[in-house]
Amino acid sequence: MHEASIVESLLTFACQHVSDGKRVQRINVRVGVLTGVSPDAMQFYFEIMRENTVCAQAELEISLEPLRAHCEVCGSDSKFSELEIVCPVCGAQALSYKNGDELDIVSLEVEDGNCYNN
Amino acid sequence: MGTVITIEQKILKKNNELAEENRQRFDAHNVFVVTLVSSPGSGKTSLLEQSLALLREHLRVAVIEGDVQTNRDAQRIAALDVPVVQIVTSGTCHLEARMIQDALQQLDLDQVDLLFIENVGNLVCPASYDLGEHLRVVVMSVTEGEDKPIKYPAMFRKSQVLVMNKVDLLPFLAYNLDEAREFALRVNPSLRIFETSCTTGRGIKEWTEWLMLSARTYRSGIIESSRL
Repeated sequence: MHEASIVESLLTFACQHVSDGKRVQRINVRVGVLTGVSPDAMQFYFEIMRENTVCAQAELEISLEPLRAHCEVCGSDSKFSELEIVCPVCGAQALSYKNGDELDIVSLEVEDGNCYNN
Repeated sequence: MGTVITIEQKILKKNNELAEENRQRFDAHNVFVVTLVSSPGSGKTSLLEQSLALLREHLRVAVIEGDVQTNRDAQRIAALDVPVVQIVTSGTCHLEARMIQDALQQLDLDQVDLLFIENVGNLVCPASYDLGEHLRVVVMSVTEGEDKPIKYPAMFRKSQVLVMNKVDLLPFLAYNLDEAREFALRVNPSLRIFETSCTTGRGIKEWTEWLMLSARTYRSGIIESSRL
């Protein structure tokens, strides 16, 4: 349930960066597979916590980044949707991961005529 | 269609900033800070009790305890006459940098060389929150199953040290220590691994000696803590 405090951080950010009277239509975030953060749980908390904020009408768009792995034995690069231990090309247990820790706000979509003030 | 504003920043930027403030404060007072993370019941508090008994002979130690409820862990540490602050999160499943900032009001950092932070027992959530520590240690007991590192990769990736605890129970279990070690190193090849038993004391000396060396190295300013 750390997703609740992650969503809280997200909403705090949006509220601080959108001027009065403007509303957020969409928040785009990027989540890595290895963070242990559940997109479903984030959506669940977002729908509850967005009430009475500038994000009350907003959608949360979560992009799950594929994992990029490099095999130290055969040198091949692979992409996975979840953690794999064995290289699909040569079968060695020698994959090193290039990413997976993403937990980023990519962008905000705000009503036209907004006064984004960062 | 609205206006798209590119942001590209960490969602937990605020926590990361507070954690950096904590780290600067620790550095200003020359306090080496070690966080313990694990699933509930892996033996973090027992490991602390065993370690403190040896460490306090050489270093001034203090502890911040994080739990969802009760101050039972703080009582166990206080019984050793070690300064301790209990954070009760009242439901929150992890510690955050601002909680550490609050707890520090109750500690005199000038009287501390080595500070332990025992996080809430949870292999998922604490991984996302930098507290400002110099070293993160994940404790995994041999009763938990070999595959914890690949089931909860974030915690093992964000830690620099793995303590495999309760090894005295190995004769009674079908646990494959080598396989568990292999899984952990797959997820994080640079993990430094110790094997301990808080019941028999096995491995405690090696672990605490390494910790003391790390604390001294940090305090002498020879090596950046991230390179320990």
